[in-house]
Amino acid sequence: MLANYAPLIVDGLADAALIFFVAVGLTLVFSVLHILNVAHGSFYSLGAYLSVVIGSFVAGRGWPVLSFFALVISPFLVTVALGPLIERTLLRWTYGRPEALQILVTFGLFLILEDAQKLIFGVQPYSQDTPMLLLGTSQIAGIVYLNYQLLLIGLAIVVAIGLRLLLKRTGIGKLIVAVVADQEIARALGIDASRVFMLAFSLGVFLAALGGALASPTVGVSPGLGAETIVLAFAVAAIGGLGQIEGAALAAILVGLARSAAIYFMPEFQPVVPYLVMLAVLLVRPYGLFGSIGLRRV
Amino acid sequence: MTHLKILAAAVALLIQFATPTVAQTSKPSDVGFGVFTFTSGPAAAYGMPGRNAAELVIEQINASGGIGGVPIKPTYVDEGQGTEGVVAEFRRLAADPVNQVMIAALSSGNCLALAPVADQLQMPTFMWNCDTHQLFLKDRYKYVFRTNSSTVPEFIASALYLLSVKPDVKRIAIIDPDYAFGRDAATIFKATLKALKPDVEVVAELYPKLGSPSFNTEISRLVTAQPDVIFSNLWGADLENFVRQAAPRELFTRSTVILALGESVLQRVGTLLPDGVIIGVIGDGWWMSPDAQSKPQTRQFVENYRKRFDEYPVFPSFKMANTIYAVKVVYEKALANTKGRWPTRDDLVAAAKNLKTETLTGTLALRDDHDGLVDQIVGETTKDSRFPFPIMGNMVRYPASLVTPPVGVDPIAWIAKMKPSILATLPKPGSYK
Repeated sequence: MLANYAPLIVDGLADAALIFFVAVGLTLVFSVLHILNVAHGSFYSLGAYLSVVIGSFVAGRGWPVLSFFALVISPFLVTVALGPLIERTLLRWTYGRPEALQILVTFGLFLILEDAQKLIFGVQPYSQDTPMLLLGTSQIAGIVYLNYQLLLIGLAIVVAIGLRLLLKRTGIGKLIVAVVADQEIARALGIDASRVFMLAFSLGVFLAALGGALASPTVGVSPGLGAETIVLAFAVAAIGGLGQIEGAALAAILVGLARSAAIYFMPEFQPVVPYLVMLAVLLVRPYGLFGSIGLRRV
Repeated sequence: MTHLKILAAAVALLIQFATPTVAQTSKPSDVGFGVFTFTSGPAAAYGMPGRNAAELVIEQINASGGIGGVPIKPTYVDEGQGTEGVVAEFRRLAADPVNQVMIAALSSGNCLALAPVADQLQMPTFMWNCDTHQLFLKDRYKYVFRTNSSTVPEFIASALYLLSVKPDVKRIAIIDPDYAFGRDAATIFKATLKALKPDVEVVAELYPKLGSPSFNTEISRLVTAQPDVIFSNLWGADLENFVRQAAPRELFTRSTVILALGESVLQRVGTLLPDGVIIGVIGDGWWMSPDAQSKPQTRQFVENYRKRFDEYPVFPSFKMANTIYAVKVVYEKALANTKGRWPTRDDLVAAAKNLKTETLTGTLALRDDHDGLVDQIVGETTKDSRFPFPIMGNMVRYPASLVTPPVGVDPIAWIAKMKPSILATLPKPGSYK
């Protein structure tokens, strides 16, 4: 019996893993900066583009194994180049201002980054599947899966645990938690909150770019990828409760499994399933699965 | 009085803009063509070969004297901006008297939106790619022609080929893009099978969103359904992604797969495909077909294209090239009719009526309803030591007249009346060589 549903579960979890990387970055930035970052999807697509370009470069020169290196280095490059720069030059002026203004600023940034990608990478689709092919395949319940898909599930679990450990066990993490809990008291205690903002935003950028880089071997990369991703990430973050890491993880699993189930049983509903799940959750819990009115934690 | 003069001037100006601009009758310095295709986004993988071909053919025509001594001046429009933007661009170009012809469009959705606008603006428009049979199903357009076949003969051909090479097929699955082109293809394919082999069961029907980056769950679903045959009319980057994701997961070896638009991606992802995948060109635009290879002009086009773009032309390239050459023939016919006077738009429409012309890959005939009659080539992937990608083997060329419903007949009702005995009368796979 379980074997019948194994493909559905594996596909759902693989889908959830990719959604999680983007949604958790979005939710982290919201919990610290209180900004709903519309440009988050652009960091995802930048990570994907850069990973494909670097991966194609190294694979084309006879070093296919180094294409794995591209998956890791691309999010770092995107983060170093854009994270601190954007937070220091654009976002810091919006802190404490109306939410509508913050959304407009990040929306403007999204439009700039989308056009910048077209200028830099062109408008034609890219693909680079060397890492996916190098890892081979496995059979589960009679269905051949890419080992790369299974690796993504493992990586998402590692990132979720790593983030929790970062926030609980490290000095930087404790500073972030303190700022999230009460910014004014944290400042009064001598914590450099603006540095924490920069770090948290950069971490969010890194997670989005990592999601894009890791997705790139299995998906095609073309203009519009960022917009598509951010809509889904918003839905997942809202289901989990904005600012909640565990919420984002659970919501990603719910949406991944629901999308997978829809393809198996009701293909017509597949495009709207994430939003139906969001509607159902928000009707019962308006602040998401892990959110509440006064909750201030990450 | 001054106000009245201003009002009169404004009214005159409005009338000038509101009245469709009719072509000048003196020979112009340029003849403008609006050329519509996708040059951005996932659809660009299909649209750019069309644009490349347009560039090459127009250069070649201009180098040999243009049309009646007048060079073509193309304006390229990206359909990636969405239908609203495409219609706005069409209107803007049509308002400029330099532009005498539109080569539009790639997307069936855009074609359906542009056709009434073309008639409204009295702009001769040649649909170079749009496949939807809905275009001329109920509506008649004076200024719109399709220099291409429609979904009906294209996907009847896929089903006929399947029944010829795999007559014992029992279970089929479908994965098509979720819009009119995908849905229509599924309807036509299923209707043909129902008429010719009624015991075929549809075990899965999937319609992923156009532009989906991942098909992994759909691939698992297709495998679990255990179909004998999987039919797909995915195209562009969607088709490339599907092949990249499905091939390592052995989808192409577990079932017979029909990729109705598969030739367009053979050079990019063909090495992932095993022999025996059924491949279509939705028309006759296969650069290595016997007809194409027998024509020196086609061989030259292929060589020029390969040199310029570092790849061989794919069938969207031929759809575009054949359309532009057909428009040139229309102009030449119109110039002959007007005895040298530069043709008006109505002269062009008159010349295009019931046009029959040779193309780079076969022949094109325009029917009374302005729809195109083009043969259908279908084949299977076959390795060839001359190329680093598979080519089409075991080919068949179905004459357009055998797979296209007559003018004014409901295509699905026409398909339903097909008898299994038709299979014996059709050319066989492998007969086109």
